[in-house]
Amino acid sequence: MSNKSSTGKVLSFSGHEYLRQRLILATLSGKIVKIIKIRSENDNPGLRDFEASFLRLLEKVTNGSTIDINYAGTTILYKPGVITGGKIYHDCGTSRAIGYFLEPLIVLAPFGKQPFDLTFNGITNDNVDTSMDSIRTVTLLQLRRFGIEEGLELKITKRGSAPLGGGEINFKCPIVRTLKPIQFTDEGRIKRIRGIACCTRVSPQNANRLVDSARSVLNRYIPDVYIYTDVYKGEESGKSPGFALSLVAESTTGALYSAEQAALPGETPEDIGSKTAKLLLNELSKGGCVDSLNQWLTLLLMVLGPEDVSKIRVGKLTAFTIQYLRDLRDFFAVTFKIKSDSTNNTLLMACVGVGYVNYSKKTN
Amino acid sequence: MDNKEQQKAHRPRQAGSKKDKKSKKQKKNEEKNNPKAFAPFSGRKAEKLARRKQELDQKKLHVPLVDRTPTEPPPVIVAVVGPPQRYTKHNLTEIKGPITVVSGKKRRLTFIECTNDMNCMIDIAKIADLVLLLIDASFGFEMETFEFLNILQTHGFPKIMGVLTHLDKFKNNKTLRTTKKRLKHRFWTEIYQGAKLFYLSGIINGRYPNQEIQNLSRFISVMKFRPLIWRNTHPYLVADRVEDLTDPEEVRLNPLCDRTVTLYGYLRGTNMKSTMKVHIPGAGDQILSDISILPDPCPLPDKVRKSLSEKHKVIYAPMSDVGGIMYDKDAVYINIPGSFTRKSDQIDTEVDDNGPEYEQGPGEKMVIHLQDAPDTLADKLEESELTIFANSAPMKASDLVEEVNSGSIDSKQIDENIRGRRKVRFADDVKKHDGGEQETDSDEESDFEEDYDEFEEKWEKVASRSFAFNRVNMKNPEINDEEIAYAESDSDIEDILGQGVDDDPALDGSLKWKSNLAEKAKKMFFSNRRINIMQLIYSNEKTPEEIASGKFSDLLKVEAASNEKDNVEEEENDEEFFKIIKSQDKDSESMNTIDSTKTYLDISNLDKWDDEVMLESIRNRFITGSLEDDSSVGENDSSDNEVHGDFEDLETGEVVKVEGSKKSENEIEQEALAQKRALLKKKFDAEYDEKDGTPKVDFYDEIKEGISKQLQLNREEFEDDDSHTRAMVEGFRPGTYVRILLRRMPCEFVKYFDPAYPIIVGGLLATEENLGFIQVRIKRHRWHKKILKTKDPLIFSLGWRRFQSMPIYTLNDGTRNRMLKYTPEHMHCLATFYGPIHPPNTSFCAVQSVSNDNAATFRISATGVVLDINHSVEIVKKLKLTGAPYKIFKNTAFIKDMFTSALEVAKFEGAAIRTVSGIRGQVKKPITKPEGHFRATFEDKVLMSDIIFLRAWYPIIPKKFYNPVTSLLLSSKKEWQGMRLTGQIRKELELTPPINPDSQYKKIERKARRFNPLHIPLSLQANLPFASKPKILKKRTKQTYLQKRAVVLEPKEKKMYTLMQQINTLKKEKDRKRKEKQVKKHHEYAKKMAKRDTILAEKDKKERREYFRKQGLLQKRSATYSEGSSKRSKTS
Repeated sequence: MSNKSSTGKVLSFSGHEYLRQRLILATLSGKIVKIIKIRSENDNPGLRDFEASFLRLLEKVTNGSTIDINYAGTTILYKPGVITGGKIYHDCGTSRAIGYFLEPLIVLAPFGKQPFDLTFNGITNDNVDTSMDSIRTVTLLQLRRFGIEEGLELKITKRGSAPLGGGEINFKCPIVRTLKPIQFTDEGRIKRIRGIACCTRVSPQNANRLVDSARSVLNRYIPDVYIYTDVYKGEESGKSPGFALSLVAESTTGALYSAEQAALPGETPEDIGSKTAKLLLNELSKGGCVDSLNQWLTLLLMVLGPEDVSKIRVGKLTAFTIQYLRDLRDFFAVTFKIKSDSTNNTLLMACVGVGYVNYSKKTN
Repeated sequence: MDNKEQQKAHRPRQAGSKKDKKSKKQKKNEEKNNPKAFAPFSGRKAEKLARRKQELDQKKLHVPLVDRTPTEPPPVIVAVVGPPQRYTKHNLTEIKGPITVVSGKKRRLTFIECTNDMNCMIDIAKIADLVLLLIDASFGFEMETFEFLNILQTHGFPKIMGVLTHLDKFKNNKTLRTTKKRLKHRFWTEIYQGAKLFYLSGIINGRYPNQEIQNLSRFISVMKFRPLIWRNTHPYLVADRVEDLTDPEEVRLNPLCDRTVTLYGYLRGTNMKSTMKVHIPGAGDQILSDISILPDPCPLPDKVRKSLSEKHKVIYAPMSDVGGIMYDKDAVYINIPGSFTRKSDQIDTEVDDNGPEYEQGPGEKMVIHLQDAPDTLADKLEESELTIFANSAPMKASDLVEEVNSGSIDSKQIDENIRGRRKVRFADDVKKHDGGEQETDSDEESDFEEDYDEFEEKWEKVASRSFAFNRVNMKNPEINDEEIAYAESDSDIEDILGQGVDDDPALDGSLKWKSNLAEKAKKMFFSNRRINIMQLIYSNEKTPEEIASGKFSDLLKVEAASNEKDNVEEEENDEEFFKIIKSQDKDSESMNTIDSTKTYLDISNLDKWDDEVMLESIRNRFITGSLEDDSSVGENDSSDNEVHGDFEDLETGEVVKVEGSKKSENEIEQEALAQKRALLKKKFDAEYDEKDGTPKVDFYDEIKEGISKQLQLNREEFEDDDSHTRAMVEGFRPGTYVRILLRRMPCEFVKYFDPAYPIIVGGLLATEENLGFIQVRIKRHRWHKKILKTKDPLIFSLGWRRFQSMPIYTLNDGTRNRMLKYTPEHMHCLATFYGPIHPPNTSFCAVQSVSNDNAATFRISATGVVLDINHSVEIVKKLKLTGAPYKIFKNTAFIKDMFTSALEVAKFEGAAIRTVSGIRGQVKKPITKPEGHFRATFEDKVLMSDIIFLRAWYPIIPKKFYNPVTSLLLSSKKEWQGMRLTGQIRKELELTPPINPDSQYKKIERKARRFNPLHIPLSLQANLPFASKPKILKKRTKQTYLQKRAVVLEPKEKKMYTLMQQINTLKKEKDRKRKEKQVKKHHEYAKKMAKRDTILAEKDKKERREYFRKQGLLQKRSATYSEGSSKRSKTS
């Protein structure tokens, strides 16, 4: 469906799927990308508001990038510029959660000219995009292995649930020159489980109910289960009622697995609690050193590493990751060596980095 | 060992003369050598010594860099720089292009000669690992030497070895010694104190003395190299052979058509990827269309020997006609060593066409016979017949061409077909069944394929591919992928997987052998399952959703339960293909089409976690799980991995499992305990051993160790992979000899190819092909004669590239980047220019011209380093707008002559303005009536005579001018002309610089200002305090007391006064006389000197005349001699 063809310098893709990653990879690799047939068959063709919003955000964090959109909005031509960063505010709207915007920017942030200081407004927890809790407790920690540690911070100043949002977050990321290669094949065993149960504009009791139901599933394995309740009140609790649970399991070697659920109308906290816990078990059963939500991030950072071998063990690859692998090949000409480890149904993925350096970082 | 023990111990003489001698010697030494002489006696001194030692040690340390040279390194590039010389032992008639020789057990050398052309010098400096700087001692250092050193410094400073030559020209030993010393010290100041300088005495019989050359080569062979950053992050190749593969017919039709060119050489630097963008300095950017590994033409000796025999001292120099056999991808080239004359005009493109004069060996005869062939090789091949089976009709290559039915097939394609034939020869078992195999299996003949039975062809490919696996030929990933997948569509891949073989309607009884084949292929396919997973993911044949949902579940062995369910769904989807479109038609976006990482998670079957068995199954993922289970299943703790080794295949894994189950419970328990104990011990050791036992590892060693560990990992990771996977995953390693195919090269590249100019293929990283504004720190070279002017074009040598751009020089004054008209004289400044992006910290050098027009002066204009990359720049220059008040109120004034329209004023509303006297103010509003006038307020009342000015900053945008130096595309490489400098243009067009009358210096005429007397009103005066009141007095009518009286000297005073006057008069007279005398004396001396000078000048003139007379005679004589010798040679 979304096939790729390259004519000279311009990489061409079709379809609205995987739009974000292609734009991000284009920005990192400096390649011009053309995306055609964006919902061209649809009754309502062209870009959606959140996609346009993402393009605007991309323009804000870069300098010199040009985005040409045709009249119907079904074709984009993106010429990337230099990642600048700095202090940026963006209103993410309510059609997609903040995760949609923040997730891809995490990879751009270390390669900016100035440290990123992003303030986003919108929905912090929903069931479509990665929640801020997961990004804070799992995704950002993945960067640590690659040498990005100090000054990396995500603050949830206000929470906002779907549909009206009203949440606000602040994301800060330092800049680096190069990343470190990783060798992470030992998944270890789970030593503790942590979690955050949050609720906005509902009874704080809901958070406790979430915790209880999740613990009832997880306690059979390990006693070290601690789920924080995070109740936002008044101004900080956004515009809509809602509650959500995010769980993180940490292994002895530091591998993190996450699962999260936000409540849909009519769901009880008990439902959400046990469902999230089961999702976590599902995630654990897949194995690997990185969970399915963050496979793409780890793989991308491995590709951007120095010209050394990086190696990681992953569980089952998700469709998203598989497409990501293909896109990585198209943009960076990096192919992963994938070896299946039949002993525990995991995959060992190794690649040689492209030796990416932060071109936009100044020297004195 | 045994032998040693059996040897007798040495027994010194106990008596006799020898003993006496020895003892005497010992005694003498005892007196002389005080063993404690250098040991410090005082603690202070000991401490000092220790400190000094530490300092010296620290000085030796360098920043640890990753050394990416592979185990079998590419030949070291030795650049020979300087006046034309003879170096190699082989008597090469002509040195053209790089020459590779094997110099030792583990070392090969590639020699490149560097001409004094600036382009050549720059390119060589970028690739040379070792520079032999030849210095003519009789002449001294040349300008080029210093220029080259400077270029080297900016491009990483490889190792340099100076070689002094022509030492035999010195007849006087003393002058020889002093010259040596002088040159040595000058050399040291340029490189470092103690840099190695070699002395070659001179050419005897057309060769340098053997001993001296041997010493030199010995030095080269033990030299160690420090990795250079740019070369350690970029792959590159120095082409030692260039071939034009364009279809001759095409060239005939259009001599200016773009060419297809192959370049050969050793890869260096980092791994080169198959679809990399490369830059060829002097020829521009290109995309690699193909890389393939060739056998090493100059291999290292395979066995470990003590010394290198003559046989292994291979020399490889395809550009300079040295003997040797060369293996190309598709042909063997034979060069016949010896001296030749051309026998016939028959030109054979593939084989050297020189007929021998001397007696020929059978091999040589054969080669020469080949040259007599009336047809070209391509024609011959077309006519050649190939009988594959005894009973089948012979095939002709030309038949193939007809079959293919394409009008213009180029020779290259034919070549490939031949190659294919060769390949198939090895595939014995497949051959039996196959009739028309030679029709397929070239790499890029997708058009061909359609004509043949699809099925048949597929299996042929499987077979041929598998037997030619060691030969890597990456076309581009997609084509390759297809090849390994052996199929064009989804259904095909299913066939290969053996799922749909039985349903295939093409398979009937008569084709039973084919099914057999399929089985075989399947086995092969599954034997290397890893490639299959990579295939699935990278082949683009299945959507990610299909792969992730487990269509290949039997390969990956993911959870059975979920897969079955998914499979059913998936199959349904496959059958009704338009279902997806239906869902698209509806506006409701299905989960799959939403761009989010989370939606790709499977949340449908969570119910399985209600099952107790399922819940227990992951018990071992927790630390609370039992260890035994873990060890037997092989859950991967690091220790477990070590115990069980690699589990690459399913079978081996199973074997291990069986073993595990065989063990009794007791044994397992014991094993687990032992493991636990070992772990604990390890932990204990790690905690305590370091503190007392092993020495503390410092930061430096730690980093070094980390680097070496990573390198070890890099080496080991792909060790057991086949070459195809390796090429795909890690690219082509440095040290391999490769052939690079480039399409659409400009025809001038081939037409004006000159082996004296190196061809470098430098790989570019991801963003390095893009253009942007580059800010650099730059300093004019102190030996360059002139300062540099803003916007004057300058040629930069940055990264691999040489390009012309127009820099704007700036200085940062803390708040803004201010434009400079010229570079500062002795200071760094910033420059911004438009050009290809290079990572910050890359250093560069710049020249004004690469053509040899002003060789006498120092040509390197500036050096610097890249600071910042951006797509917009902030450079400003100061702009002062002046105006004059025409109406003044208290603090308000109306200003004219600053702007011309109200719009301009509106733009500057609120801007700060100032008078010359320093009264500050602000622009307020424009006035409607006289256009451009405005109202302004000031902190005080301004005068009508005041000039009002507004200080503004005007943004400067550098011109987007980027002009790569394409010197390789010129017929005469030294003549590249880019954009000319402003000065040059003016000189050539005989223009004078434009004169701005406002900028002229004129005589400043200042009218004396007349101020009216200050008038204070009387009423105000009355109120003033007395001190401030103007005191106006009446004019005196009478003289004062003093005015009335005269002053007369006393007699004594008068006497003193006259005396003093007399003394002074005397002194003055004396001085005058002395001065007069001195002037006279000086005149006399000057006269004398003039006389002497004339005599000296005459003498000098005489001497000169004599010298030139002698010189003229010498020249005459040598001219006649050479004429005579040439005549002689003609007659002989």
